[in-house]
This record gives sequence, C-alpha cells and structure tokens, in this order.
Amino acid sequence: MKEAKQMMIIFFTSIILFVFSGLAQILFKEKYKAIIFTLFSGLATVLGLIPTTIALFQNKTFFNTVNFNGLIGNVDFVLDPLSAFFVLVILVISFLAIIYSRKYLEPYNKKLSAHYFFLGLFIPAMILVVTVQNILFFLICWEIMSLSSFFLLLFDSEKKEVRQTAINYLITMQIGVLFLFIGFILLNLNTGSLDFASFQGHISNTIFIFLLAGFGIKAGFVPFHTWLPKAHPIAPSHISAVMSGVMIKTGIYGILRMLTFIESPSLLLSYLVLFIGVASAFFGILYAITQRDYKRMLAYSSIENIGLITISLGFAMLGSSYHNHLMAGLGFLGVFAHILNHSIFKPLLFLSAGSVLSKTHTADSEHLGGLIKTMPYTASLFLIGSLAISALPPFNGFISEFFIYLAMLNGISTDNHFLFPILIISIGVLAFVGAMVLIAFTNMFSSIFLGKSRSEKALKTEQGSPISDSALGMLIPIGILAVFSLLIGLFPQYFMQIVINSVNTFLTTPLNFPTQILSNISMFNLALLITIGVILLVRKLLLKNKTVTIHKTWACGYDKPNSKMQYSNYSFSRPFLGFLTPFFIRELDFKGIKELFPKATHFKSKTIDIFEYYLIRPIINFDKFIIQKFYWVQSGNVQKYLLYGLIFLLLVIIWVVRK
Amino acid sequence: MRFLLLLILPFLFTGLINKTKALVSGRKGASVFQPYFDFIKLLKKGIVISETTSFIFQIAPSINLACMILAGLLLCVFHFEGDFILFAYVLALGKFFTVIGAMDTGSSFEGMGASREVSYTSLVEPAFFIIISSICAIGHVYSFDSLFKILSFNHMTWVLIVILSVVALFLMILVEGSRTPVDDPTTHLELTMIHEVMVLDNSGVDLGFIFYANALKMLIFTTLIASILTPHSLWGYMVVLFIIAVLIGIIESITARLRLTHIIEYTFILITLALMVMALALLTMYETGAKGRKYDYFSNLPCATSPSFSVAKARRLPVAVHLLTSETDTTAKLGKAVFSSYAGVSSGGMI
Repeated sequence: MKEAKQMMIIFFTSIILFVFSGLAQILFKEKYKAIIFTLFSGLATVLGLIPTTIALFQNKTFFNTVNFNGLIGNVDFVLDPLSAFFVLVILVISFLAIIYSRKYLEPYNKKLSAHYFFLGLFIPAMILVVTVQNILFFLICWEIMSLSSFFLLLFDSEKKEVRQTAINYLITMQIGVLFLFIGFILLNLNTGSLDFASFQGHISNTIFIFLLAGFGIKAGFVPFHTWLPKAHPIAPSHISAVMSGVMIKTGIYGILRMLTFIESPSLLLSYLVLFIGVASAFFGILYAITQRDYKRMLAYSSIENIGLITISLGFAMLGSSYHNHLMAGLGFLGVFAHILNHSIFKPLLFLSAGSVLSKTHTADSEHLGGLIKTMPYTASLFLIGSLAISALPPFNGFISEFFIYLAMLNGISTDNHFLFPILIISIGVLAFVGAMVLIAFTNMFSSIFLGKSRSEKALKTEQGSPISDSALGMLIPIGILAVFSLLIGLFPQYFMQIVINSVNTFLTTPLNFPTQILSNISMFNLALLITIGVILLVRKLLLKNKTVTIHKTWACGYDKPNSKMQYSNYSFSRPFLGFLTPFFIRELDFKGIKELFPKATHFKSKTIDIFEYYLIRPIINFDKFIIQKFYWVQSGNVQKYLLYGLIFLLLVIIWVVRK
Repeated sequence: MRFLLLLILPFLFTGLINKTKALVSGRKGASVFQPYFDFIKLLKKGIVISETTSFIFQIAPSINLACMILAGLLLCVFHFEGDFILFAYVLALGKFFTVIGAMDTGSSFEGMGASREVSYTSLVEPAFFIIISSICAIGHVYSFDSLFKILSFNHMTWVLIVILSVVALFLMILVEGSRTPVDDPTTHLELTMIHEVMVLDNSGVDLGFIFYANALKMLIFTTLIASILTPHSLWGYMVVLFIIAVLIGIIESITARLRLTHIIEYTFILITLALMVMALALLTMYETGAKGRKYDYFSNLPCATSPSFSVAKARRLPVAVHLLTSETDTTAKLGKAVFSSYAGVSSGGMI
C-alpha cells in the first residue's frame, strides 16, 4: 500500500513536471526554449518511467484516489499493466519526438512558446486519459488532448489550408466526443455512477457500439478515418509521429478498457470489430498506394495498421465468445504487440519523412528522387521503417503479424462451420494487405530516394548550395527507433515479455507464452542476417581484382534518357490499381494527344476517398441545407437578440413556476 | 538431404526446361548442365554499375539470394509452428529488395518491370495462405513437416484437395518464376516482360546471383509440390522435379504469353483454386467434425471449445451441406469448374 502511494506520487510529479516544463520554457529566450523543454520533459519522462515499468514488469496495480470535493467527488487513478503499457509507449515516443523537435523546428524561425506549451499539455493529457477511471475526468482529459493537439497542428497557422484542416480535425474530434457522451450517459443511467469500476457487466451492445464509434473516430477506423490523411500532412513531423504513433492508440485503449468490463463479448460485437478491422486495413492501404504526398500516405498507412490491430482484437473477442482461450490470448497478444511495434516504426517513418521534408521543402514524392545519395542516413532509416512496416523479417513488424496469423490459425480449430470460412478469408485478406503494403512502400521509398532527382529545386537549399543529410539531433532519435525495431525483430522472445502482463489482464487463465516459437524465429532471423553477410562477403571476394565499370543506365539503346522518363509514383502503382477501381474514385484531367504534331497537353489525376465522397460529403451538404434554413435567426440586429433573451427568460420563469 | 539437393539442383531444373523446349521445337539444344557453366562464367566476370545507382543496387541481388536459401531451409529443415508464415514473408523480403534494386537504376524499363512484378504477384500470397491454412485446419497442424505428414490419398475429398493444391502451386511456379504464360523468360528487350526487364542493368556476379535465386525460387515451389505428393522418398522427389520441369518446358513451347491485361485474370485463377480448397476443407471438417480432436499446440492439452454451440450448429447445418455433398457429384462439379475456368481464361486471354 505504501509502495503504491509512493509510486503514484512519483507518477503525479512526472505529470506536473510536464506541464511545468511547458510553462518554464516561456520565460527563456527563443534560443534556449527547446533545450529547456527537452531537459524538463526528459526528467519527467524518467520519473514517469519508474512507476510505469514497475507496474508493467512486476504485474502490479498502483491505485490512488484523489478527492475533488463536491465538484466531481472521488476520482480514481490506476496504473495497472494495461494502463502502464500505454503510458510507457506515450512517454518513450513523445520524448524521442521532443528531442527531434529541437533541430526540426530550428529553420522555421518562429516563436516556439505556444508550441511547447501545448506539447506540455498534450503529453500529460494522453497519460491521464489512459490512467483515469472516472467518466467526467476522462472526458475532460480527452478534450484537453484533442484541443492541445489542435493547437499543435496550427504551427504553420499563416497558411489557410492549415487552418481549415485543423478546424476539420477539431470538429471531427467533437463528433467523436458526442458519441462518447451518448455512450457514457447511457452507462451512467444504468449504473448511477461515474466510476469505471461500476461498469462491470453493464456494457450492453448498444452502449459498446456508441463507445466504439466514439473511440473509433480517434483511432481512425474506416469510415471515420477522413481526418487522419488531412491532419498529418499539415502537422510538424514530430507531432505527426506522436499523433500517429501514440495518440490514435488512445482510441484503442478506450475500447480495450471497456472490454475489461465485459465478461464475454457477444458474437455480434466480435464480428463487427473484425469487419471494421478488415475494412480499415484494406481501404487504409489501398488509399496509401494512391497517394503521392508521402506524409498523407503514411497517414493512410496508420489507418491500415489500426485495422490490423482491430483485426487482432476481433480475433481475441471471437476467441472469448467461442471460449477458445488460446485464440483469445494470441489475439490480445497480437493487439498489444502490434500497438508496440507500430508505435516504433510509424514514428520512425514520420520522423525520417520529416527529415526529408525539412531539407527539400516538398512533400510531393513526384518531385523527389535520388535522395539516397545526398541523404544516405535518412534513406537507410526510412528503408528500415519500410521493411518493418511491410512486416518483413528480421524487423519487428513481422512479429506482431505473426501473432495475428497464429491467433487466426488457432481459431480455425474451433469446431465451428461459420467461423472457419470467415477466418480463412480474413487470412487471405491479411495476406493481400501484406502484398499491398509491400507495393505502397517499395513505391514510396523508390520515388523519394532512388533513381534520379525529378526536380532541381528540391536538391538545393534556399541559398542555392546542394543539400546534405539532416543534423545528428534529428537522426539520433530516429536511429534509436530503428535499433529497437531491429532488436525486437531479432530477439522477440525477450522483448515481447513487455506486453505479456497487459495481455493477461484480459484472460482468465494466463497465456502460455509461445517462447519456443519466438526463439525459433529469433534463430532464423539471425541466420538470415548471417547468410546475407556471408553472401555479400563472397560477392566482395569474387569482385576482388575484377574491373568495376561505371556506366550510364542502359536504356535499350536510347542515348539520352532523362529523369522524367523514370517510373514515377503514379505509374508504378497504375497497373495494380487498375483492377481495384471500384474501391476508389480517380478523376483524370487529360485531353489526350491528338493530331500528328501534338500541342502541349497536361495530365492531372486526383484520387477521391469513396467514404468522403459518398458518406461524409452528403452529411455535410445535408447539414448545410438544414442550417441555411435558420440563417434568419442570426440577423445581426441587436434588438432581435435582446428579444431572444427575453423569450428565453420568460420560458425559464414559466418552467420554474410550473414546478 | 533435400535441402542440399535444393541448393545444387536449381540450374539442372532450368537446364531441363530449356532442353525440353529445344527438343519440342525440333532443336538439339544445349546440355542440361549449360546453366551451371553460365553461372560459373558470370561469377568470374567483372561488373558494370550504372552511375545512377546507390548501394541498394549492389546489395539487392545478394539479399534476394539469401532470402531464397533461407526459404528453402524453412521448407526442408527448420520446422516450427507457423513456419509457413515466415516462409511467405521471407520470399516477400526477397521481392522487396529485387524491386527496389530495379528502381535504383532510374530506368523507365526497370521501373516498368518492378511495377508489373509487384502487381501480378500480389495475389500469390493470399492464395498460398488460404490453401496452406485450409489444409492446416483439417489436420490441426501448423508447420510444414506435420502438414506433409497428414496429407493422404485414402479419401475422395483429400485427393481432390491435393490435386487442387498441386495445380495452384504449379500455377504459382509460373507466376513467381516468371514463366510463360505470365512472362517470357527468353525475351530480353521487349516492353512486355516482367522479371527479365527488372534485372536489365545487373551484370557479372550480381546477374549470376539473380539467375540462381530465380531458379531456386522455382525449385522451392516444386519442392513444396513434391513434398505434398511424396513426402519421404528421395527418388519420388527427383521424379516429381523432372516431371514438373518437363511440363513447364512443354507449356512454354505450346502456349504464348498472355496479354498483359489478362495476367491479372490469370492470377485470379489462383484465388479461385484456393477458395475451392477452402470449401473442400470445410466439407471435410464437417464430415470428420464429430470425430476430430483439437489440440492446444503449445501444451498438447485439448482446447476448450463450447460443446453446446457446436451441437446447435450441427443441427442447423445439414441441409445446406448435404446439398453440396453427395460426394461424387461435388467432385465432378468442382473438377469441371476448375478446368473450365482455367481453359476459359487461357484460351480467351491469348493474344
């Protein structure tokens, strides 16, 4: 008990220190703000890690009740393995992003006070969201998280596009909160309590679906995903990394926390979650392939990864519904492993994309190319991220996908003739999604880093000198993530122990951790690296004393190939997308080449998200239509407004008197 | 033992294909060992590197080769639960590097090849997973070695499953190994090819590695077929290998390459076959469902399944399944469907 109290004190100190570091940097000169913020938040991170790691690794639950007299009453804060896992991810990834931000924000020459102030609110808000156990306080923290991230998005606020998108983000988040409100109010009506602890057994299907929608908007489930690809391109890269790597997972946390209050989820919910997961994974990666803006593409790929996490969650829920414990266990293992892995490789990709962006000032991959020669470190790090996200051994992405496949294979042995084809088809879809991720990332990596440069401008700094690789201050945080990515892939049997206690909170009997299988994979991955090393060595020996000629790329006899003749991002994905046309809309603006001596022509293509086109746009149009009818209310006439006030007062008086 | 053969034989395999093609077209043809001599010669040569390329171009062929060797290792020696997942992803790693190696040259031709390669092989992986996991489901096994053990020929549905799987795997060889009718390995400077154009700029050692890796890939899929048909006998393995090489040679001699727009349709056959295997597996599960024992594969304890649920399902299902079953009928229908879909596409899709 005493330990719990001490731990919670350390925990709260860490949170206060984050807010304090956001305030403290305001007092310092522009030059020192980043350093001061990094120092204080670093201290806060270290402090926060102490109780977190103890809770997570020793499987302990730290509990503290804070009394807000009268206003809210008692509010519980809990650091159990489930919360601690999320806190760990939030702390580590946010801190790496903060280190990165110093060098990244330097060239902007802007006032940084506001940015760091809101960052100092954003991180503790996320941490509180995953620890607090009270509806009201949860929603308050949830709102602080949404609002502070809204202000963080507004870093480039002079641009109209940035302001519009940020407002769009804010509205989407408010709609999400609306769903949460409905869900929580229904819960409150059932239980009469604001405490999460009283929910046990009270979450009906309807309530869960409302909460699923509310949390799903934050997480980016299809069809609620439309804010993600808009918000990420405008956000500073380290904010994208935190938002995509960590913040959207708070939505998943919400769903998981609600699941702990459900004894055995109904079949309807399980299949619904599985279906949402499959749709998110498929559409997420399909739209990722169609993008040429690399940050937007990474945002879509986040949707795909959230989809994979949700697929795994669907299997876990199906496992509990059908009382197949192993399937449930492996499903939850897949959920946590993929959350962990995604929060490593997605920030890795976003930060290295930011490194490219800060040098070339363009997010359009069709204007890049050949950057591997000028930015070799960034290119290698992006390559590692691409390999990891494509779930290729020996990197970490493979491990979590492996768990998802294992959960599925184990589900097959459930003696159920409805589940069987569903699972097999999910395996097929998952494998197809895997192939699509490979297409998306080979495409993006090659069009940014390989071949020849497509635009001279991208290769020069503002002063006109050729660009070089990013500063170490930016490369080191990315490098740390890359090392983790490789280490988890090489030694999954040790690293996956991180999630085991969190997984067990969902299971009645502890999961039999597949150590043997993982050490086999580990051995295989080491063998893979060694074989690659040996073959490269053999190649080097064979090439000794041989002539190595440098020559132009062979263009089948054509003498003057230029950079515009390369396969571009668009043309690379064209054959594949050709047979998936029903799933997306592509507007082409191309008159074609006519006559014998054709005049100059142009080609423009735009990919439209079908969910935005068929679902979101009609809703907005309908909304506009309704609201138009009430324009007359807001006439600008002061007398009229006074009249409204009077009428309102009258109504209130009548209502009071009636009682 | 099979693994050693797998490492030694790839070029004999391609040699056999080439010899068959030569014999069918009435030529005498080169010796079946010719690819070995080519390989050794390539290893002795220096290399030409494009000025556009980076280190990716130089490491890609070696990594690809390492992936193929290790995929072979997984298939023949190193077995554990879920090894076929790793198998598929190691092959994908090889593909990843081949593709970015091609893109590194900045050539329009190689970009074209890379783009086509990833597009046309995108359906191979799903088909592979559906087939293998369907078979796994029936026997409740999760690794290659136990998978080969449970396949038997004592039951009509089993025979059908084996036939369909083997046909699907054979089509996979043609797609993954870039053979006719998907790709034409003999053309080098046509805009129509897929794999060959990806390696246009490679030379010397690298080209040798690429030839070796590609032949190895075909042989790996062949070994998979052989392991399904004759899991134990070494002579059986050689015979299957010989038959498949000759078959590929004959197909290449008598059919033309498909038009590019039809290749996707061709790869959809794979998915169709895979779904048929799944349907058959469901049938088998239904038949043996009552007797089937389920094991937790970590601890060999029976899995807890809800008995009430399966009973309820069993009562509801019979009509639907009996409509499908009446064994011989299904067999004939499915067989017809396979052949008509295959024949339909291959005849309709030719140039």
